[in-house]
Amino acid sequence: MRRWILPWIELAGWLGLALAALSQRQNLALWWQLLAIWGGFAGLALLSRQWGGTHTLLLPAALLVGLGWVFLYRLRAEWAAHMFTGAMVGLGAYCIGFAGNWATSRAKYVFGVSAAALLALTLIFGQWSGGAKAWLAVGPIRFQPVEFAKVLLVLFIARYLVENRPLLTLKQGWAGAAYWGPLLLFLGSVFMLLAVQRDLGPALLVFLVYCALSSLIVGSWKLLAAYGVLTISGFTGALLLFPHLRTRAAAWISPWEHAEGAGYQILQGLFALNNGKVLGKGIGAGAGELIPEVHTDFIFALIGEELGLVGTVSVISLYLIIAFIGLRLASRSTDPVEQSTALGIVLLFSAQVFLVVGGILRLLPLTGMTLPLLSYGSSSLAAHMWMLGILASTGRVRGK
Amino acid sequence: MDAGHPGKYRKGEGEVKALFRKSFLFILCTYALLIGGLVYWQAIADLEGHPLNPTGYAVFRQPRGAIVDRDGKPLAESVSTDVGYRRVYASPSVSHITGYFHQRYGMTGLEKAYNSSLSQGQTVRTTIALPLQKHMEELMAGKVGAAVAMDPKTGAVLALVSYPYVDGNRLDESWSDYLQDERSPFVNRAVQGQYPPGSAIKPLVLGAAFAERAAYPEQPWVDRGAVELEGRAIKNFQGQALGRITTLEALAHSSNVVFALLAAELGPKLLTALSQFGLGEIPPLPLPMSRGRLPSPEQSDYGWGQIGIGHGDLLVTPLQMASAVSAIANGGKLMRPLLVQEVRGGWRLPRVQLPAAYTQVIPEWAAAAVRDGMVLAVERGTAREAALPGIPTAGKTGTAQTGAGQDHSWFVGFAPAYDPEVAVVVVLEHGGIASQTAAPLGGAVLQAALAACTPQGM
Repeated sequence: MRRWILPWIELAGWLGLALAALSQRQNLALWWQLLAIWGGFAGLALLSRQWGGTHTLLLPAALLVGLGWVFLYRLRAEWAAHMFTGAMVGLGAYCIGFAGNWATSRAKYVFGVSAAALLALTLIFGQWSGGAKAWLAVGPIRFQPVEFAKVLLVLFIARYLVENRPLLTLKQGWAGAAYWGPLLLFLGSVFMLLAVQRDLGPALLVFLVYCALSSLIVGSWKLLAAYGVLTISGFTGALLLFPHLRTRAAAWISPWEHAEGAGYQILQGLFALNNGKVLGKGIGAGAGELIPEVHTDFIFALIGEELGLVGTVSVISLYLIIAFIGLRLASRSTDPVEQSTALGIVLLFSAQVFLVVGGILRLLPLTGMTLPLLSYGSSSLAAHMWMLGILASTGRVRGK
Repeated sequence: MDAGHPGKYRKGEGEVKALFRKSFLFILCTYALLIGGLVYWQAIADLEGHPLNPTGYAVFRQPRGAIVDRDGKPLAESVSTDVGYRRVYASPSVSHITGYFHQRYGMTGLEKAYNSSLSQGQTVRTTIALPLQKHMEELMAGKVGAAVAMDPKTGAVLALVSYPYVDGNRLDESWSDYLQDERSPFVNRAVQGQYPPGSAIKPLVLGAAFAERAAYPEQPWVDRGAVELEGRAIKNFQGQALGRITTLEALAHSSNVVFALLAAELGPKLLTALSQFGLGEIPPLPLPMSRGRLPSPEQSDYGWGQIGIGHGDLLVTPLQMASAVSAIANGGKLMRPLLVQEVRGGWRLPRVQLPAAYTQVIPEWAAAAVRDGMVLAVERGTAREAALPGIPTAGKTGTAQTGAGQDHSWFVGFAPAYDPEVAVVVVLEHGGIASQTAAPLGGAVLQAALAACTPQGM
């Protein structure tokens, strides 16, 4: 009973240390928010133990959210306050994910259709921001539906693939088309919706998850290769269709030539990472304000500057730990749909980390998505907490 | 939760475990790529000295060489702070010369051109006279334009003011204001501003005309206020008829009629002379500069007439004009403009730049005759407002028509006229009638320059 609490106390120590480092440079009027985040996560861990579930996912998540709060606060207090709100909503979303029957409910089309409906609503009533029509306002609440839609989509795909698994192999030939057809038609129309909104990052993400998931479930290398070809040709097509993607691609390939324009952000990110070296400059000692939009995914570059390679590798390790715990929970489940759903969610989470960090490191073009649990954005934070909640519910013995 | 489930699932358990092991390895591999990238960028690559890297910390942790004026007074120096060193500038207007050196906004001007020397602790000695620079900064305050003072005998730039400017000491506080300022304070008008010279070109035209023997100083002209070239009229300022005048009086009273005729007679030879005066060439100073524009040699008589009065396709920068007027003051000999005279300190060999002559653009007697005309302009002509008490002064105004708004006003001149110590150029964007705006300012600048230069000399 007592033993589980020890890592939480250690976490409190780490966060306190970060606060102490921050206090060297700025006032800490909002320090209670960090305490509340810690308390919220620890309290939820206690509760989930009472419910007979696991609390292990909450620990790395709390560390990431706390770290995000510290760095946002170091940049601007309002951003940290937004993070705090997002974390509180996220705790609720975690509970919803944990308590709901997301992975066992049989109504697969409900997920798919509600994802499509969310995106369609965004297209009709959405507000433009940052080159994409990505925001939906309901009363005072403004959120990014795509963050939730992509989870719903993965829930749908995971279930569809398992239920139609015997037919989803290439060996079926054209007879399999009856099973492929609806899935591809549906995914195609969803991608069209995202493309019209110019929100291609999530489309790419869901597509990659779909490819990885179906290859893994069907267990075919040929399928993976086919998806590879499809991805590259889709990428080329998108480049031809969208001029803003061409600027991004050019900035990716040769940022030095676009140093004053499209390549500016990525170069500043690389400079920041490089200035951090192995041990970092210390919290608050970097020049992260130089990176445009540093509070978004580029918060990672700031962490790299101030906590060094040690910090960035730790962050990646935390994401890896989340994936590991998720997969272990999935492997303990006996329900193939639940397994597939958990695997899909782990892949969704990990693929987003890979795309975002890979973009900052110039391994991939920038996709303009958030870094899960770490960067500014309460919709994203809530959606990822929801995903963790669903993962945590995997393999749980339900009293019926 | 890990209670074993019996029966039908047991058989598939190994398969399921394998699937998740495979999935984990897949994620591990992609993350390993990320860690490889992180190790490369954070531990292997070295971007600290990269010219585009504004966050190069090392340079802010060590003192940087100073940029000093000709007497060794610092224009820019490193001042120690609790987190390293900060660059401090002697006066806000020097940022158009020294540029700025800032952690966030990078570097410009001499800070950039001499970065490798400065970052090794060397001192860059300029030809600037700081007291004069400050005085001219006050005189130009609130106007939009540029003023340059030059030593005509050496080509040394004594002061260079472009207003408005970016204050290198206040970048953090004022950066967004600078960006929003419609007068573009980042533009160094003294070396980058390209303006039609208007009548300020006339001393150069006259020099060319004398050198080519197209006219002589006491030659009589009849000025009826306008002249027709190929059916198109070129008029004097406000159509004023000057009547019977000599060539020198034509310069003094700025007769467009006489200069249009002279230019039409000179034709392409005028262009050669202007280019020898340095117009249309980038001066060899270590600052970002404009070339200005020389018109094409294919011109009608009317076209040449327009060029003769400083219009047409002709564009010049204030520094080019300062050089050219200095050449007239210096007996027709054009000197290489000089801004940095010495770089020394540390372990490197010092580098010294000595004054150097370019060419004898016009013969000495022709330059002397032009000077007489310019003295006449200050005594009785359009540049009367520039007169200095007790000191013979040579000057010429120019009012250049712009497409829109008020005319640009110019003053070019030097003093003392018969043994010039300083040549100055003043341009006021949309300043209006030059004899009332640029001329008095030019006189004040000349007086300040003489006061600053006379005691020590170079």
